[in-house]
Amino acid sequence: MTYNQKRNRRNWWIGAAGIAALLLGSTAAWAHHEIAGKFDLSKTVDLTGVVTYVDWRNPHVHVFVNVRTGKELLNWAIELESPTILEMDGWNRNNLRPGDAIAVKGPRARDGSRQVWGGDQVRFTETGLPVFPAKLHPSQAATTSRPAPRGPDGHPALGGLTPAAEGYWTDPSQTSLVEDGVNVKADEWGLLANPADADKVAPMQPWALGVYRHRQERQLRDDPMYLSCKPPGGPRQYQSRLGVEFVEDRARQRIFVLMGSGNHNYRIVYMDQNRKTGLVTGDDDNPLYFGRSSGKWDGDTLVVDTIGFNEDFWFTNGGLPHTSQLHLVERFTRSDFDTLRYQVQVDDPGAYTRSWSASWTMKWNGGTVPFYFCQNNRP
Amino acid sequence: MLSRLTRAAVVLLATVLAAPIHAQEGHPLKGSWIGVWESNKDAGDDVLMVLNWDGKTISGIINPGTDNMKIANATLDPIGWKVHIEADGKNKAGAAVHYVIDGTLKDLELPSRSVTGTWQSQSGKGKFDVRRQ
Repeated sequence: MTYNQKRNRRNWWIGAAGIAALLLGSTAAWAHHEIAGKFDLSKTVDLTGVVTYVDWRNPHVHVFVNVRTGKELLNWAIELESPTILEMDGWNRNNLRPGDAIAVKGPRARDGSRQVWGGDQVRFTETGLPVFPAKLHPSQAATTSRPAPRGPDGHPALGGLTPAAEGYWTDPSQTSLVEDGVNVKADEWGLLANPADADKVAPMQPWALGVYRHRQERQLRDDPMYLSCKPPGGPRQYQSRLGVEFVEDRARQRIFVLMGSGNHNYRIVYMDQNRKTGLVTGDDDNPLYFGRSSGKWDGDTLVVDTIGFNEDFWFTNGGLPHTSQLHLVERFTRSDFDTLRYQVQVDDPGAYTRSWSASWTMKWNGGTVPFYFCQNNRP
Repeated sequence: MLSRLTRAAVVLLATVLAAPIHAQEGHPLKGSWIGVWESNKDAGDDVLMVLNWDGKTISGIINPGTDNMKIANATLDPIGWKVHIEADGKNKAGAAVHYVIDGTLKDLELPSRSVTGTWQSQSGKGKFDVRRQ
C-alpha cells in the first residue's frame, strides 16, 4: 500500500468516525435545561471581552466573546435564556452587536469547556448597564379584579372568546409538583434547595423516591424534555412561564390546550364523555404523552380526567417518577378574569403510596401563546 | 469499492445500534433485558428477560419461548439498587431447576441501564450481565 493509499484510508476512517460522532452527539446534545445540570454554580468566572457573534436561536441564545488571557485570545460562549423568554421581556437580537465590549460573571460549564451561563449578569463594559436580564418570575402588578368572561353555555371561558380577546395562562405560582401543605423550596426547574427534603415532596414508594433522589443528585441533567425534547405531559404543561392557551371548540365538544413550552405540543380534552381510543389517540397498546382526557363542567370548574400515559417522559419539573398507571384528575377554575386556579389529584399506585394533590395559580396574558420550539441542536 | 461500502455499512450499523433506545422513565426494571449468564449448561449463555411492575410486584419471564421460566420472586432495593430474582425452569432432561440471580442495577439514568452480578442453580453458577433494550 502506497503512502497516499494509507493516508486516504486513514482520512476515510477519520471522516467516518467524525460523522458517526456527530450523529451520536446530536442525540445527546443539551437543549433547554436546568442550569445547574450543565453549569457548576460553585465555579464562577469573570470575563471581559468583545462580542464576535450573537446566535439568537432556540433553545438558548449564545453570545460569543473574544477574551484576552495573557498572550492568548480565546473565544468563549455565553449562554442566555431562550429568545422567546428574552423577547417576552423586551429584548431582541440587536441589543448586542459584534464589537460591543461586555463583561460577564457566571458559572462555568461542568465539562470544562469555555462556556458560561450569563443569566442576567451580562453588562456593557463602558456603561455598566445590564443586557438581557430575563424576568423568570415577573411580578404581577396588582390589578382590579374583573369577573371571568363566560361563554354562550354560561361556563367561564378559559380562552379568549374572540380572536381580539385571545390570551394565554402564564406565570405559574409554582413550577414544580409538591403535595399541597408541604413546604419545600425548589428552583425554577424543580431542583430542591435542600436535597434532604426529597421524601417530603410526595408520598413516593421506595423505588420512586430512589429514582427521584438520583435525578436530583444529578442536577436534573437527564431530563428527557431537555435531552430529547420529550413533551411536558401531565401537570408539567402548566409549570412553564411560556404558558398554555385554551381553545374551546364547542361545536365538536372538545377543548384544545396549546403549549408554549415543550415542542409547541397540544392536548385535546373531549367533553362528550367519550374518551377516545385507537391507534392515533392512544389505547392500552399505545399510551400517550398527554394520555386520554375526558372533561366535564362541575359548576364553574372544568374537571378533566386523564389516563393512558406512557412512561417516556417526566410529568413534572424536578423529576418525580410516574408509571403507566398514572391517573390524573385536574380542576381548572377561572376565579376572575386574570386568575386560573389549577388543582391536580395524582393517583398512581405504581409509584405512590396514596393519592395526593397539588395546586397553583396562573395569570392571564393577552396575545398568542409564545412560539417556542425545543431544538436539539446545541451544546 | 466493495470494501468501502462494507466499511460504510459497518459504521452506519454501529451508529444506529449505538443510538439511544426506547426511553423508560418509570420503574427502573420494567422492560426487556438481553445479555449473558455465563457457563449456564442448561440454558446456554444467552439470556433474555422481560420484566413488569404492577405497583406491588415485579413479575416476568426469562427466555420467553419454548423454554421460558416464570419469575417466582423479584425485588429491587433502592439502597444500592440491589436486584434479586428467583425463577423456576427445567433443564434439558426435564428436571426442575431453580435459579437465583443477584446483581446491581447500574446507569439508572439511562434507558440502556444494566444489571450485573451472578446467577446460580443446582447445575452451577456464573457471571450475570444484562442490559435493558
